[in-house]
Amino acid sequence: MTKYRNLLTSVLMIMLAGLMSVPFYYIVVNTFKTQEETTKNPLALPTHWVFDNYIKVFEGTPVVQSLMNTVYVTAVSIFLMLAIGSLAAFGQITGRSRISQIIGAVLVAAFIIPGQATLVPLYRMLVGVHLVDSLNGLIVIYACGSIFCYYLILGYMRTIPAEVLEAARIDGAGPFRIYWMIVLPLIRPILVTVGVFQTMWVWNDFITPNVFISSEDKQTLVLQVYAAVGQFTTDWPSFMTLTVIVLTPMVLFFVFMQRHIVSGLISGSVKG
Amino acid sequence: MAPIAVVFVVLYVIPMSQSLYYSFTDFNGYVSNPKFVGFDNYTELFKDPSMLSALGYTIFYAVATTILVTVAAIPLALTLNRKFFGRNLVRSAFFFPAVPSVAILGLVWGFILNPLGSGVLNSIIHSLTGLGPIPWLSNSTLAQLSTVAVTIWAQTGWHAVLYLAYLQAIPADYYEVSKIDGAGSWQSFRYITLPLLVPAMAVSQLLLMTNGLKVYDLPFTLTRGGPGFSTRTLTQSLIEDGIAQSRVGAASALAVLFLLVVGLVVLGQMAITNALQRKYS
Repeated sequence: MTKYRNLLTSVLMIMLAGLMSVPFYYIVVNTFKTQEETTKNPLALPTHWVFDNYIKVFEGTPVVQSLMNTVYVTAVSIFLMLAIGSLAAFGQITGRSRISQIIGAVLVAAFIIPGQATLVPLYRMLVGVHLVDSLNGLIVIYACGSIFCYYLILGYMRTIPAEVLEAARIDGAGPFRIYWMIVLPLIRPILVTVGVFQTMWVWNDFITPNVFISSEDKQTLVLQVYAAVGQFTTDWPSFMTLTVIVLTPMVLFFVFMQRHIVSGLISGSVKG
Repeated sequence: MAPIAVVFVVLYVIPMSQSLYYSFTDFNGYVSNPKFVGFDNYTELFKDPSMLSALGYTIFYAVATTILVTVAAIPLALTLNRKFFGRNLVRSAFFFPAVPSVAILGLVWGFILNPLGSGVLNSIIHSLTGLGPIPWLSNSTLAQLSTVAVTIWAQTGWHAVLYLAYLQAIPADYYEVSKIDGAGSWQSFRYITLPLLVPAMAVSQLLLMTNGLKVYDLPFTLTRGGPGFSTRTLTQSLIEDGIAQSRVGAASALAVLFLLVVGLVVLGQMAITNALQRKYS
């Protein structure tokens, strides 16, 4: 009885999952077809596999440049967020001064203020310092993610026994040495979790580059796909090919980081 | 502490105060001495038809996605918590739409739901049933429903995984004991699973609701806010008014309202959760 029930669940769920995945199948399969075949049989396998779309996209669009831009923005932003967040959490744990207590309490406000509420003044601010339409300008905006990092790292840091830090201090280690040699290795798991979570945010973000970036050579991948819709309105296979090229790094990231993504989702959603 | 304080002041405190200040002025981005206009910007907002329709659509979107994703995600999580062949694969498949950029998914769905006869879904429907093209994205109501449907597709798996994490934290002996005491499967769901899912529901619905109110990417990439203003979101209005058209005063008033509404939703949701948790524990 249970065996049949399990089999039924299995069949139903696999069918449902397959149905859910049709859009992904659709974009991948059409990159190997000619335009004509795509319109005629959108869901069929290609009668003969063509790779012209890939050559066309790599030659005709700045996809490599956009990839470099995205990697640069993501890497620098994540490094900054983790550095600022973990240093602040460390200061909060060890400092215990009045000021750091107050700052810690006030930072909660950042969770309630939606990005939309500060967008227009931030835009004007970046215009003032010539950081609009600049990759470094995006990094400045993403630095606001460090407050989220701070909270998750702080929660994790509190689990480090105070004796460990105390012992290091007695042995004569300065605060920076303690942070670098003792705290950082101990908090590695949370750094990975938060880093993975924030990487997905920065890499996939659309609203910030769409507002702040206008020149083609500074586009991120997501923005480039958006811009390509106009370019490829009638050339669907090329559009799908660009999409597949752009999605591949994120899919690989998902495959290797799945466990961390899920744990990040859980700890992140509990805090956020 | 110093760097994070700088981040907080520069990226939150200063812009938020500016939004508040501009919202009471006629500032348009160019004049150096903006005039104080009191609550004019706020009253203007409620007279602007495009604004009101953005407000209506955003609330509709936030409420509809919150309810429907929750209704779909809980049974999905319960099923994924049972043992069956291919479970890990199915879990990944459902979760996967949360991995790529929502904006790109919106663009891809734009091709699939293309309202012309040559659109993917329309040509499939035509070859199966012979029906003519359905105006998925060119009819106001259908476009609004399409944005909600694509969101359900994209987010249900993510939220199901969140529920799953809470389900897996329920000790198995709770169910053993209730079985011995003669509880049926409905009773053990009602008296064990559901109360323990309340915290998960609180988290998931808070995220759905606030993200729904803040939404921009998905309706925008799918429909550009059209047809007409039917799927234009508050965020889209804010960006267009405040940056493209330099109606800084009006956009700032909207920004302040945004803060208030999102803040109220967060506080309200917390109060409801606390009340529910007291009731069930």
